This record gives sequence, structure tokens and C-alpha cells, in this order.
Amino acid sequence: MQNGDAVVEMTNVRKEYSDSVALDGLSLTVRAGEAVAVMGPSGSGKSTLLNMIAGLDRPSSGSVVVHGTDLGVLSETGLALFRRRGIGMVFQFFNLLDDLSALDNVALAAQLTGTSAGQARKRAVELFGELGIAHRKNVYPAQLSGGERQRVAVARALMNRPALLLADEPTGALDSRSGEQVMDLLLDLNQIGQTLLLVTHDERLATRCATRLIEVVDGRIAREHSLERAL
Amino acid sequence: MNAVWQAAWAAVRRRKLQTIVIGVVVCAASATLVMALGLLEAAAAPFDRAFAAQQGAHLSAAFDPEKVSEADLEREGTDSAGPFLQTTVDTSSSDVFLGSLTVVGRPDPGGAVDRVSVWQGRWATNPGEIVLNRAPGTTGRTEVGSRISLPDRPALTVVGFAHSVTGSADAWVTPAQARELGPTALQMLYRFAKADTAADVDAGQARVTAGLPAGALLGTLSHLTVKDKATSELGVFIPFLMIFGVLGLVVAVLIVANVVSGAVVAGLRHIGMLKAIGFTPNQVMAVYLVMVSIPAVAGCALGTVAGNLFAKPVVQDAVDGFGVDELSFAPWVNVVAALGMPVLVALAALVPALRARRLPAARVISAGTTAHTGRALRIQRWLSGTRLPRSVSLGLGLPFARAGRSALTLAAVVFGVMTVTLAVGVTMSMTAYNEAVRPNHADRVELLAGPPLGLRVPGEEAPAARLSDAEDESMLRSLPGTTALLAMSQLETEVAGGTQKAMISFYRGDGATLGPRVLTGQWPDGPGQVVVPSRFLNQRGLSVGDTITVAARGNRTQVRIVGVVLTNNADQIFADWSTLDRLVPGARADSYQVRTAPGTNRDTFTAAVLARDPGLRVLPPRDGTSSTAVIIISAAVMLTLVLGAVAALGVFNTVVLNARERRRDLGMLKSIGMTPRQVTVLLVTSMGALGVVGGLIGVPVGIAVHQVVVPAMARAGQADAVDILMNVYHAPTLALLALTGVVIAVLGAVVPARGAARLSIATVLHNE
Ligand SMILES: Nc1ncnc2c1ncn2[C@@H]1O[C@H](COP(=O)(O)OP(=O)(O)OP(=O)(O)O)[C@@H](O)[C@H]1O
Ligand SMILES: [Mg+2]
Repeated sequence: MQNGDAVVEMTNVRKEYSDSVALDGLSLTVRAGEAVAVMGPSGSGKSTLLNMIAGLDRPSSGSVVVHGTDLGVLSETGLALFRRRGIGMVFQFFNLLDDLSALDNVALAAQLTGTSAGQARKRAVELFGELGIAHRKNVYPAQLSGGERQRVAVARALMNRPALLLADEPTGALDSRSGEQVMDLLLDLNQIGQTLLLVTHDERLATRCATRLIEVVDGRIAREHSLERAL
Repeated sequence: MNAVWQAAWAAVRRRKLQTIVIGVVVCAASATLVMALGLLEAAAAPFDRAFAAQQGAHLSAAFDPEKVSEADLEREGTDSAGPFLQTTVDTSSSDVFLGSLTVVGRPDPGGAVDRVSVWQGRWATNPGEIVLNRAPGTTGRTEVGSRISLPDRPALTVVGFAHSVTGSADAWVTPAQARELGPTALQMLYRFAKADTAADVDAGQARVTAGLPAGALLGTLSHLTVKDKATSELGVFIPFLMIFGVLGLVVAVLIVANVVSGAVVAGLRHIGMLKAIGFTPNQVMAVYLVMVSIPAVAGCALGTVAGNLFAKPVVQDAVDGFGVDELSFAPWVNVVAALGMPVLVALAALVPALRARRLPAARVISAGTTAHTGRALRIQRWLSGTRLPRSVSLGLGLPFARAGRSALTLAAVVFGVMTVTLAVGVTMSMTAYNEAVRPNHADRVELLAGPPLGLRVPGEEAPAARLSDAEDESMLRSLPGTTALLAMSQLETEVAGGTQKAMISFYRGDGATLGPRVLTGQWPDGPGQVVVPSRFLNQRGLSVGDTITVAARGNRTQVRIVGVVLTNNADQIFADWSTLDRLVPGARADSYQVRTAPGTNRDTFTAAVLARDPGLRVLPPRDGTSSTAVIIISAAVMLTLVLGAVAALGVFNTVVLNARERRRDLGMLKSIGMTPRQVTVLLVTSMGALGVVGGLIGVPVGIAVHQVVVPAMARAGQADAVDILMNVYHAPTLALLALTGVVIAVLGAVVPARGAARLSIATVLHNE
């Protein structure tokens, strides 16, 4: 994919829940190579926005096109297969299976695509090296620090070389030092070409690693600015 | 307490699925419990129950109407019914052959003694009507409306079927009709205050016959004799029903323990919150007990009612043969189910609640994420490296994460498989036994050559062979299609030392091949040798090797018992033809049995026989079904279905709990691209693994129980627990039985697994 091609095109997306409107006619385009930071008050619809792009939920109206595929036409299974290859996700909590070692958690993502256990572990070991957590690969999630857990989660998200990496407050549960480490990692990834969309509450971190910042209020984009990254 | 109640009520309403599952499971378990206890109670003494319900007669007596008047028979202070006119009619000329019937004239089926229950049709109220005595559900070849013709009299029409546990008559008519038939005796039925032993009954008999002229009493029948006979015929049921009752009990207890303790474990995080906001440990425990008790009490009440409504027919079916016609569960059954089940629920909740009570709040709050043992982790690790699809290997590891719950689920599956194994085994044993004692040989042709010796066949012309015995035999042997031949002659004989008569059958020809199965010893092959069934030995205190004296037609001879054979009739002796000459020299065979080659046409064969000797009579092929076997088999099927369903419900609950507990994990797996189908596979595999193990454990245990139950059934039925009853499991059957574990597990798991697979990830993530 060329830098500048549209990876995500959301048009007039509306999402209603029984007692609230989470997205209210939101449109957004994300281009390859961008690092978009989404900010906004609690309950403004940021997580909902991310879920729409990942195909974890369906809009009430409007269309979501990712990598040229209209998610609206895909079945549940189709969406799962799409996520496998096209999307990497990192959440604030609950990223890892407690009963798998860090390495197996990461290898899992590749095994779902049919890669053999040996191949998957090999690729996971490479990623652990790149992300600076090689020494923790045989440890179980319960024994990892919060920052380490998020880095394992990032490793798993990258396992299938997704064109788009989504992160919902990946540093929300971390102290500021660990948070910065995770942000640095995402920044590095973006600089080698990884398209990135991340939700964060931390303006300082956002401005440090994003190329564009959008602010969501009441399910709509209220403001949007391009950033010169302070490198 | 108010806060406790509030928190508990909120939990009940918020956790609808859990509330419903507890309610449904407790409901099903209570219904099963009612059935199990009802079975145990009904099976404990079905004859006594039926006898008590009908106020059965302790003594039935027949008096000579020439010597006593009805007034003579009246006695103060003894419950009695009668006198009724009694006669014997011969139905041998009727289309529906019922042998000779003892017919009693009775105005109505009620009264103080022997309250006969009319279970189909109605009581005889007009001349020409007759009611037959049959155990409920067994009308045989007759039905309401059948006509029974009698020699030189108008025919009688069957208007109903009734059952007398006492066996006071074979049939009933109106008193006027009985008088018209020519009564030969006056029947009196008595109940005594004390009638537990033979001496009690004798004393009662002495009281009611005191002062009557000698010879007035023609015969008596004690209820002890009736009971003996009934329980030896149907007693086979009892060990079988008992074991099913116990199995039902265990399965019900297991799934309730599983469901309830699961609800508490699933709520650990909630418990932590309650503690954090200031609930004392005891209050937390109370919240949990109340939360679980609300649906449990409701389910228990419903289940007890449902058990009475739906389980009753099952138990009723099972004990029908004893003549228990209007079954109602004893009050204690309902009391135990209604009170015992909530107690069980509370106990099951108490164990994990006590553990939660002791845990510090912080540990409890984080408990949702840890608590995995080293073994579970090692197994997961090993599975990660295997070549299995990832959803399968993750599923296989799942049971190890919650060892306690998996163990309870496994136990429910094991009991389910065990029930199926046992039921299948008992069914096959019954079939095998039936096949052996009541063979339904399609390849054999039976021919009558003359009236059986010593028996008069009333009515129409008796068979009378035109050829001599030797000519008939060689004719039959020479026919194309004949592969083996047996010539037989029967004689009624007295066995010295006993009062009971016995039938002695003399076999000539291929007796060892076509005769009954020899269990021990050998088939008689010379003069003076006999074989008998083991009941014959038991009832007379004899054993193989003993010599007995048999007498018939004024001749007597000594014979030695050389073996034991398998037949249903206790009073049957088999001897070699050479022995017949000692009792009735020169007698001819009264029947022949021919085994034909495969593919031989029965009609062509019999036509060929009759063309050569038109005096022979061909018997219709035997009907090999037995009502006892049919009842046991249908009871086995019903009980298996019920227990299998309850075991599957246990699996259902486990999957619901696992999916609930793991919904974050499942959401995460879906977010990295696991398809709904793979999630279903994961959860179903986790239970399928338990199903496989359950099958591997349940089948051998079921077989072991079979090895205990079948001999007990055989003993109760005074039959021989022979190898054909014991060796019923063969490789293909075993393989299918082992699969039932997987079937139970998969059936229970599929619905909640699909539900979990369809759960919206966005919702899961939003709610965490
Ligand atoms: N699955 C759901 N069911 C019902 N309502 C939902 C669901 N998901 C989101 N909402 C509602 O939609 C609105 C937007 O929620 P969303 O989670 O997108 O906000 P957010 O911007 O991510 O907030 P935060 O910064 O607190 O994470 C909220 O009012 C929320 O209650
Ligand atoms: Mg959010």
C-alpha cells in the first residue's frame, strides 16, 4: 500500500444504543502511513469509533470501508477473517489470556491464520526482540508489569503485519513512565510505515507521536489539526 | 439484613441467565429426585403396596356348597368378602383359547377384601358378560368385545379387564351368570389381623373354618404363596429399578452442586466489591446464599410439582406389572425433595462462600484473572505447540483451568454414560435371556403327532398321526431342508418327596442341538439320566449328581440328575428317550421339532410334511415376546433419556459459566480474528474432552454395575445368572457406548457455546 492511499473511509456513521447516541453522523478518512490520535471527553464515542473500524460492532447507518472493503457486506465470520489479517488491536485492559505464556499469547494470532506453532513462535521471538521484551517471553501475564503487558499486546497486534493498528487508550492503565515507553514504541512503528489510529486522554503523548489529532465530542468530530511531530 | 436482601435481590435481577440456569437446573434435579425417590420407594415393595391398596385377601378359600350354606360361613370379627359362587369353565373350543378359567360370580369389584381394580372397560353387570383378570396393560390376544365360546352354552362377551393382586379368580361374571354356569364351590376371601407368617395364616384359617363339617373346605390359597409367585416373576425388576433410583439421585445432587458452587465462584469479583464497601464477611456470605436460594427455592417447588406430574407415569410404567394401578408418591418423597433440595443447594453454596468469606477483599477483586494452577499452565503450553487447530487446543486446555468445576461436570457425564451403558446392558441381557428361555426359532417347525401323554385335549379332534413313530421320523429326516430333528414325548410325573408335580420331557434325536441350553453337566445320553433347570434343584434342595424317583402311570423309576439346563419353567425335567420305556413302554412321540436349512420356505416344507402324513398338526410359529422384558426395556429407555438429559444440563451449565467467566478472553480472541465458529468449536471441544474421558470412565463403571445388577436380578427372578446374561457387551457396542459421553457433552455444550460465540464483542468490552 502506497503512503497516502485511504486505509479507512467512514461516511456519515451513526451508532445508536438503546438509551444513547454514540456516533452522530461521523465521517473520517485515515490514509496509509498516518498516525491519528483521537481525543475527547468520556462517553463521546471514541471507543465506538474504533470498534466500528475493527468490525467489532456495526453502525446503525452510514458506511465503513477499510482497505477498500465495505464492512457492511461482511458476515460475522467475514469480519473475523478481515480482522485476522487487516487489523491489529490493543486495548486498555484484558489484552492477554492468563493461561498462555507471553510468547504463546503472541504466537496465537499467527496460529489463527493457519501458521504452524513452530513458525508462529519463531516470528513471536523476533517481535519480542524488536520490542525489547525478549527476556520476558516465557513469563505468564500475571507476572508481567502493566507496561510489559501492553508491549506484549502490541507485539500480538503486529504479529500478522496488519496494515492498520488500532489502540484504545493503550497507556490508560499505566504510570507515566511505562506509558511513554509504549508510546515511543508506537511512534517507532509509525516511522517505519505502520498506519496507526489511537485513542488517548493524554494530550502530551498524543502530540508527541501523532501526525494528526482529531477531537470527538458527542459523537461528532469537533476539531481536527495536523501536527508537526516534535522529534 | 436489609442491605443483604437488597444486594442479593439486585444480583438475582442483574444476573438473569445465572438465575434462570439455577432455577432450571434445580427444577430438573428436583423432578429427577422425586422420580428417583419414587422409584426407590415403589421398587421397595411393589407387591405389598398393590396388595395393601386392594386390601388383598390373606386367605382365599373354596367351600363345598353341598356341605355348607352361605349362613354357615359368616364369622364375626373377621373382614371377609363372599361367599361368591365359583366354577370352572373350559374355553378350549373358543377362538380365544384361555385354557380352563376359574370364574367367580361377583356383583361388584369393591368390598372389604380384594378390591379388584377395573383398569379397562367395566364390571360385568348383565348375563353373558365376563371380566378377565389381567395385570394392567396386558390384555394379551383378547380385547374388550372379544367373545369366549363355551361348550353347550351361549358365548360370553369380554366387557372389561380387572386385576386382583390376590388372584382370586381368572375371570368374573354376575352372580346370576355364575349360578347359570353351574357353581362347584363357594369362594370366601378373608383378611386377618395378623397374617405375616404361614402360622398366622393357618391360625386364621382354623378360626374361620371352626365348626364346619368335615370336607367342607375344598382348597385354600395363602397370600404368602401368591406373593412368592408374584415376586419371583417380577422381582427381576427390583434391583434394576433400585439402581436407577440411586443413579438419578446422584446425578441430581452432582449437577446442583456444580451449578450452585459455580455461581459463587463466578461472583468472586462482586464479593470483593461488597467487602470494599463495608459488608462484613458474614453479610457477604448471606448475600450469596440468598442470591442462590431465590431461584433454587422457586425451581425446587416447580420441580417437585413437575416430578409428581411427569415422573409419575415413568415410575407407574415401571411398576405396572405388579398391579400397582394408581400410584401416588408417598408424602415423604415430596417432603424430602421439597426440603432436601434447598438444603443441598445451601450446602453446595456454603463451601465456596466460606472460601470467599475468608479471602481478603483485594485478592478477591483480582481473583478473576489469576487462580490458575501450574499444571493447567503446563498443559496449555504443551497444547500450544501441538499441530491441532488453535481453537481446538485452546478448548482442550480449558477444563484444566477450573479443575473443580470440570470434575463435577465430568462426574455428571460419567453417571450419564454409566446409565446408558447399564440400561443397554440390561436390555441386552433381558433379550438374551428371553431368547434362551422362550426361543423364537424362525427356522424350526413344530409338529404335533398326537395328544400329549396323560393329557386330555378337550374339544375338537386331537391330532392323530397316520404313520408310525419310526415312519414319521424317517419321513421328516428325509425331507429336503431338514437339518436336525427332535422327537418328543411329555408326561406328567410325581417326584417322590415333593408335593408339586412336574412335567418330564423325553427327547429322541438331536436333543443336544435342539434342546434347551445346558449350563452345567451334560445332556442326558442314556437311560436313567435327566437334566433340570436350577430352579427345580433350588426349590427341592437337590443338586447335580442326586438321584430322584419319578412316577407315572403306576410305574416308577430312579433317575440321576446329570446337568442343569436353562428354561423358565421350574417344574420341567428333560430325559433321554430310553428312560420313557421304563415308565410307558412302547409309547410314541407326541411331537416333533424340525430345524430347517436356511432359505427353506416354511409353507412349502409344512405342505410336504402334511402330504406325507396328513394326521400331523403344524403348530404356529412361537411368539417370543415377554411382557416382563418389554416393560423392563421400555423403563430402561425412559430412565436413560431422563438421566442423559439431566447430565447434558450439567454440561450446559458449565459452558454457560465458563463462557461467562471467559467472556473477556473470548472477546479478545474475536478481536484478533477468531470466527464465531471457532469460538463455538473452542467451547464445545472443552466439553467434548470431558465427554471422551467421561465415556472412558463411565463405560467400564457401567459394565461393572451390570455385573452386579444382573445377577441380583436373576436371583430375584430365581433364574440363572449365566454367561449369556453377563457377556452382552461386544466391541461395536462398547465403541458406541463410549461415544455417548461425547454426545451428552456436545448436546449440552452446543447451545450455550453458540450463544457465547454470537455475543457482541463491543458489548463485552463496554461492560468490563
Ligand atoms: N455496548 C454498548 N451498549 C450500550 N451503550 C453503549 C455501548 N457502548 C457504548 N455505549 C454508549 O455510547 C456512548 C459512547 O461510548 P464510548 O465507549 O464510545 O465512549 P468513549 O469516548 O470511549 O468514552 P471513554 O473515554 O470513557 O472510554 C456512551 O454513552 C456509552 O454509554
Ligand atoms: Mg473508551
